[in-house]
Amino acid sequence: MTNNEITVRVDRVSKSFGDFTAVKDLSLIVRAGRVFGLLGPNGAGKSTSIRMIVNITAPDTGRIELFGRHIDSQLQDRIGYLPEERGLYKRMKVADQLRFFAELKNVSGKSANERIDYWLARLRLSEWKLKRTGELSKGMQQKIQFISAVLHDPDLVILDEPFSGLDPVNVELLKDVVLELKRAGKTIIFSTHLMNIAERICDDICLLNRAEKVLDGSIREVKSSFGRNCVALRIQGSNGNLNSSKLVSNIEHHSDEMEVLLTADADPQEFLKQLINSGAIVTKFEMIEPSLNDIFIEKVSET
Amino acid sequence: MRKLVAVIKREYTQRVRAKMFIITTILLPVSMLLFGIVPVLVLNIESGNVFRLVVVDGTGKMFDRFRTALLNREMPEPDPDPAKRGQAVEKESRSFSLEELRAGSAGSTTNELERRLQQNQIDGYLILPTDLMEGGKAQFFRRNTGDFFINRRVHDALDKTVRDQRLIDANVDAKTLGALDDAVDFETTRISKSGQERDDSGGMALVFGVGFIMYLSVLLYGQVVLGSVIEEKETRIAEVLFSSVRPFTLMIGKLVGVSLVALTQLAIWALAFVALSLYGISALKSRGLPTGLPNIPLSVYVYFVLFFLLGYFVYSTLYALVGSIVTTPQEGGQLAMPIVLVLVIAFYFFLPVSRNPDSDFAFWISLVPFFAPIAMLVRIVTQTPPFWQIALSLFIGFATVAFLTWLTSRIYRIGMLMYGKRASIPEIVRWVRQS
Repeated sequence: MTNNEITVRVDRVSKSFGDFTAVKDLSLIVRAGRVFGLLGPNGAGKSTSIRMIVNITAPDTGRIELFGRHIDSQLQDRIGYLPEERGLYKRMKVADQLRFFAELKNVSGKSANERIDYWLARLRLSEWKLKRTGELSKGMQQKIQFISAVLHDPDLVILDEPFSGLDPVNVELLKDVVLELKRAGKTIIFSTHLMNIAERICDDICLLNRAEKVLDGSIREVKSSFGRNCVALRIQGSNGNLNSSKLVSNIEHHSDEMEVLLTADADPQEFLKQLINSGAIVTKFEMIEPSLNDIFIEKVSET
Repeated sequence: MRKLVAVIKREYTQRVRAKMFIITTILLPVSMLLFGIVPVLVLNIESGNVFRLVVVDGTGKMFDRFRTALLNREMPEPDPDPAKRGQAVEKESRSFSLEELRAGSAGSTTNELERRLQQNQIDGYLILPTDLMEGGKAQFFRRNTGDFFINRRVHDALDKTVRDQRLIDANVDAKTLGALDDAVDFETTRISKSGQERDDSGGMALVFGVGFIMYLSVLLYGQVVLGSVIEEKETRIAEVLFSSVRPFTLMIGKLVGVSLVALTQLAIWALAFVALSLYGISALKSRGLPTGLPNIPLSVYVYFVLFFLLGYFVYSTLYALVGSIVTTPQEGGQLAMPIVLVLVIAFYFFLPVSRNPDSDFAFWISLVPFFAPIAMLVRIVTQTPPFWQIALSLFIGFATVAFLTWLTSRIYRIGMLMYGKRASIPEIVRWVRQS
């Protein structure tokens, strides 16, 4: 991998506040043009890691490189950052506010105006352009803040919990925008604990727990390394002998179907035969990969 | 640079557009107008009423002199323009109409005068006893004794009449009599190293004025600086800002932005003040009182501006420092109390420094950034110190401003990431050391 392909390189970075270790010996690589998910439970060190990448705080030890250079204030202009702690000037008008944030990223007022119009339209907020920010709902304010993070056309977009507090329609909208940014060649880092979304848009993930990296890699790699014999099953009629089958290690019941975890060396075909022989009518039989959610819970409870 | 301009622009436009700013900006000149002009107008309305006074002159020779004394109260210096002289007398004479009655004449009985008073034919009567010159008591009767001004004027005029009459009785001639009323001309002249110059008491007044304006603007705008620094902490915007702009740039931008707001307001007030003063000066001139600006060289005015700015910024950065430590404006208000105290102490040095502007004490005081703005100005208008001392004082002062700003941004950057509680002193020291 050459340096051109690496947007962020975090090398053996630690950070502590007093006695509390927030990040311990973290190394990770974010490749250009990919969506990188920083996952982990609350207090795992996601936000601290992100703050160090954005150059708000400096690591105690270790080194962080952006675009192949040591982080400095000039590189900050190439980053768009949506912090977890949202904050906007309540009394400023939406357009003024966005122009201010664009100017702080060295964008001239004129080109800022065009981009403001584009992004407000894209996130369906055009009619609010001249309203005071305080008059907007919380979800709208969050979208405004998202715009302020991408307005200066940054090469690296860092979103800390971008979906929290949004309704499902807006989650979809924002997800589409993130994928658009990816298609435009931007690198995206985002932290979340919503695994279903991470699963749908991340190329690579890094799972943190208690200040340490638990696992990382592409979603494919992570899932295949977690290879399990799992079947999504919907049957009618007898299922009495499911529990007694030697092939089954665990059953999880959902509303009208169940997830059956087979023992490690069990043959799924054999399991299907058994079902049919037992007289059950199988309406769904699907080999499924472990969800990120499963991996998350398993890994976090493990450590 | 664009980032700094953006911060300044935001601080400025947001504040200047705020309703509070517009209201206070308008309110001050308006209240100056109310307190300065309205009383004059009201008094003028009052003087429109003629006071009808009957004088029963028991001495038989005082009336004419009394009349002159009452109507030309101030005995104004003869105006070079005779037409105006006439006007002044006529204007004054409107406030009284006098009627003389000889003691013992038909209308002079107390009963008759009381009747005329009650029927509102006259407003008052004055009885001068025969032995007035020998200490007899003059009596003044009127319906309304609460009108202090009329009582006073009648009393003063009578005093003057009696005194003049006594002098005339003692064979003092009229010319000497006129000279007695002339005040002594008194002028303080200072001798500076460059030669003779004029009176400097005007300069001292200006120093006091500059000091007072500084005090006022620090009181008004220190809190604004404090609030401005806390604003991003309260609204949690600081994190976004720090991902875009260096804390030092942010602090400089805030200080400059708020200061421009302060200067805008002061400039508007100054214009209003000048306009009112021009009106006031013309009013004073018409009464023959001395007016005009003190005679001060231009360089001193430049120093006034420089030291005003120094004082303003030194104290504003202190407020910013407090803002960087605390989390709410209420907390900040408490912690900022000592700042005002220091400023008051700076005022106390006014007297000792002006008495001995060349002393070692004055020298050292005028180098301390928190006291320099007033102490050095006092020295400049009294005994101008060597230029290097002024330059040194300015240098130390503005270096202090830069240092305080740096310190503030340092504390601010780290403190902002630890929400919720005010920092302890050891914590602050550690933050400053931390990168």
